[in-house]
Amino acid sequence: MLICESYHVPKTLEEALRLWAEAPDGSRLVSGATDILPWAREGRAGDVEIPALIDVTKIPELKGYSCDKGRIRLGAATVYQDFLTDRTLMTNLPCMPYCAIWFADDQIREQATVVGNLVNASPVADGTPPVVALNGEIELTRLEDGAVRRRSVPVADFIEGPGRTLIQPGEIATAVTVDSAYGYGGSFQKVGQRRSLVISVACCAALVRADSTGTVFEDVRLALGGVGPRPIRLRDAERRLKGERITQELIQRVAESAADSVGSRSRKEYRRDVVVNFVRAGLEEALANQPEIGAKFKNFGETENA
Amino acid sequence: MPKIDLTMDVNGRKVVKQSEPHKRLLDFLREDLNLTGTKEGCGAGECGTCSVFVDGKLVKSCLMPAAKADGAKIETIEGLARPGSLTPVQQAFHKTGASQCGYCIPGMVMAATSALRENPDAGIEEIKERLGGNICRCTGYTKIFEAVEIARDVIAGRLPETALDEDATGESFIGANVRRLDAPSKVSGRLKYAADMKMVDMLQMQVLRAPMPHARIVSIDTSEAEAMEGVACVITSADVPGTDGFGVFVHDQPVMARGKVRHFGEAVAAVAAEDLITARRALAKIKVEYEELPGVYAPEDALVDGAPVIHDYAQDNVIKHIPIRKGDIAKGFAEADLILEDEFRTQQVEHAYLEPEAGIAYVDHDDVVTVLSPSQNITHHRHMLAEILALPINKVRFIMSPVGGGFGGKEDMIYQGMLALAAMKTHRPVQLNFTREESLVASAKRHPSRVRYKMGLKWSGEITAIEFDMLSDGGAYGMSSEGVMRKAAILSCGPYEVHNLKVDTKVVYTNNTPSGAFRTFGGMQAQFATESMMDMAAEALDMDPFELRRINMMRIGSRTHTQQELTTASLDRVLDAAEEASRWEAGAPKVRGPRRNDLGGPDTRKPCTLGARIGEPTDTQTKDERVAS
Ligand SMILES: Cc1cc2nc3c(=O)[nH]c(=O)nc-3n(C[C@H](O)[C@H](O)[C@H](O)COP(=O)(O)OP(=O)(O)OC[C@H]3O[C@@H](n4cnc5c(N)ncnc54)[C@H](O)[C@@H]3O)c2cc1C
Ligand code: FES
Ligand code: FES
Repeated sequence: MLICESYHVPKTLEEALRLWAEAPDGSRLVSGATDILPWAREGRAGDVEIPALIDVTKIPELKGYSCDKGRIRLGAATVYQDFLTDRTLMTNLPCMPYCAIWFADDQIREQATVVGNLVNASPVADGTPPVVALNGEIELTRLEDGAVRRRSVPVADFIEGPGRTLIQPGEIATAVTVDSAYGYGGSFQKVGQRRSLVISVACCAALVRADSTGTVFEDVRLALGGVGPRPIRLRDAERRLKGERITQELIQRVAESAADSVGSRSRKEYRRDVVVNFVRAGLEEALANQPEIGAKFKNFGETENA
Repeated sequence: MPKIDLTMDVNGRKVVKQSEPHKRLLDFLREDLNLTGTKEGCGAGECGTCSVFVDGKLVKSCLMPAAKADGAKIETIEGLARPGSLTPVQQAFHKTGASQCGYCIPGMVMAATSALRENPDAGIEEIKERLGGNICRCTGYTKIFEAVEIARDVIAGRLPETALDEDATGESFIGANVRRLDAPSKVSGRLKYAADMKMVDMLQMQVLRAPMPHARIVSIDTSEAEAMEGVACVITSADVPGTDGFGVFVHDQPVMARGKVRHFGEAVAAVAAEDLITARRALAKIKVEYEELPGVYAPEDALVDGAPVIHDYAQDNVIKHIPIRKGDIAKGFAEADLILEDEFRTQQVEHAYLEPEAGIAYVDHDDVVTVLSPSQNITHHRHMLAEILALPINKVRFIMSPVGGGFGGKEDMIYQGMLALAAMKTHRPVQLNFTREESLVASAKRHPSRVRYKMGLKWSGEITAIEFDMLSDGGAYGMSSEGVMRKAAILSCGPYEVHNLKVDTKVVYTNNTPSGAFRTFGGMQAQFATESMMDMAAEALDMDPFELRRINMMRIGSRTHTQQELTTASLDRVLDAAEEASRWEAGAPKVRGPRRNDLGGPDTRKPCTLGARIGEPTDTQTKDERVAS
């Protein structure tokens, strides 16, 4: 049970930063509360008494998104459901709708923020691999001598391990900035104990853009979650695919080599199998999901055999 | 406790209330506004019994701090239709029978309403997806999906409103779609389960549970908890005035641990206080000193010489052994052309009814100790509680509140005794609502079992003998174990006539969570073994599995394993119907090769895939726009 002495809902970023800087020890920031409330239950943290909760979701500056120089800045209040309802986000971040549809359920996605997911830093967070594949950076804001100061950290570095990040006392995550991947095909693979409403055992995000003829990998992004303490970007696999002719043999070969990226100690053999299948399926689905030339890849296997 | 002011528009009415900063929207609705149609099935976002609209978006109110909803427009199940009427979605649920225990149903109705508001033309795959955050344990989903599709079509005008009416019934109710009398109370959220009820001056109870599976209780010091402001009483087994012990067959379980704890999560002490938080804080002040004892965690280990003894009365750790003998198995196996042997194991299973255990006890004006709870066995509970409280039977009363799913898991009197003791000690009504975690830890489970199987057959397929040896894990207390073993023994070798059999079912004490009643009551564990053996035998004999079953099935005149002569039998018709409905591809298992042609027909369920709506975004306002680079 989460018990708090006070619940603040600041209306400006300055107010939030001030409250946060002055908050008594043990206070917490709140976005969707979908991690923090279940955390304070029997079997996890149990009963937790907290001096102050500071809810940052009503700050206008943290709402919505903006686009600039091929990057999209997602305000900290961006929730997973946005990737299923906002067409600009869907087309520019083509792996996010597939991640979102497998993420919790419609109701939780209305609350669950991308920022909360990243700061919570679970090794099996579904949001991490697609954000890492999109070269995501998290924006951290603090007050310094009364002035608002911001810094950006690549998400791949930001998450140091389970529950551990580079966020400093007094800092609030105010945005996540990602590449626009307009024209790419995106996909997301996930396996858990059941199919719907489940935390991943492992997951994989893929983004692919073929050349204009549809036969060569022009760009490929691959990232894994749940197979190690930190998110994993498969740079080596990406390099081996980029510029190469798209064939099933190549995809299979690269997928198999990805098995070695598994760092988890538990169920290692199982995770190795999963990673191989995920990289292969992720690439195939991303190819098929390309908006302009996707049709050619719809029956990927058959075209190859023909 | 500090206060905050909350202002909301709830179901079209302005609400201004002082509340507490820690409350979730769920608590605010249920406790402060008495809107108890919104339920708490898990408190962790997993079940959807708490779904409400906040500013038009469906959310899980157990995951939303109430203060976050300050200033918002809230819509709950109570606000969907005017009093006395039902929305088309609610009417459709009523019509299709999409409500059994009803505990999930308000949430389901909310999710269905949301799905059709978000996309009035949603197809069945999208409907399933949008209801994916809501769990039902008894109705199943087919009737629910059917209801949503009918409601969708009525709202869109594709079906007439009369499609929501009850189907006409002809001569007979059999085979007719008859509406349930209690469904309107469930689809509207008006039905009150135990946790939804309140009494004036009521206290809240919380339970201190054992942190280890087997330990001697050296001492319990409740003085600090008792001295706390707001605590009305603390109870332990020392407060039991009569003969402490309950159970469905053997009364081996004390109301609270007496002298020692036998499983993780066993109740050790309980607090009744003015509010939940005080009760929880008081638990932390109770000091219990334990001396850990070696434990038994596998049924095989319980039978080993020198194994730790869990109950003094059962030095061999055996709760019950049921033997059945028929014919002569030595002769039967000698006649066999083929003997198959194998071992089958099943695991512990939780019932996971959506309503966690809850109850209220009070002492009425005539000194009748009254317990209201979703007990599946109130008469037996009443008799047991009278002994425990040393009261005449007419001074103990049980009221059965609506059961939000039980499946056998609410047969055991695991908390009613504590409630009664606290009510007697304080003379105030006392309520205890389990959390989901508490329900998982403290309630009985399906028996894990191990069956060693030996089956003799002739080449013709006739079974000549069966030796069936089941060992079950009864956990720390006897509960329904004896009955489960009887049923497992009676059903052991299945609906097949076996002239020579030797059946033993045995259940033993361990320090695991107690096992108890669970749908099929031992039948499932036995049938898993028997039917698996039959399939393996069909393979070994190169025979169609249906044929093998027909050769051995019980007929009129057959003698059951316990020597009852059957005067009716229907297995022949059951097999015919199953064969036809499954479009069974006749032949021995081997004839098919790697692929079967009778799988994946039009009426088989496809694996769950998600994403029906991707590609057709609901928000068509925003443009398909490339972000400039
Ligand atoms: C039933 C259920 C299913 C779930 N399914 C999934 C799933 O499929 N995949 C998945 O990845 N996760 C899942 N989750 C976990 C959770 O929903 C996500 O991690 C979610 O994105 C967390 O975001 P939030 O806004 O709710 O975070 P919160 O709970 O509000 O916060 C999470 C953490 O981040 C901190 N924080 C919040 N906002 C800020 C900020 N602006 N700056 C700095 N720190 C901040 C908080 O203090 C806290 O430590 C599920 C949770 C539940 C209950
Ligand atoms: S989802 Fe809220 S109570 Fe289960
Ligand atoms: S009717 Fe759905 S849980 Fe009982």
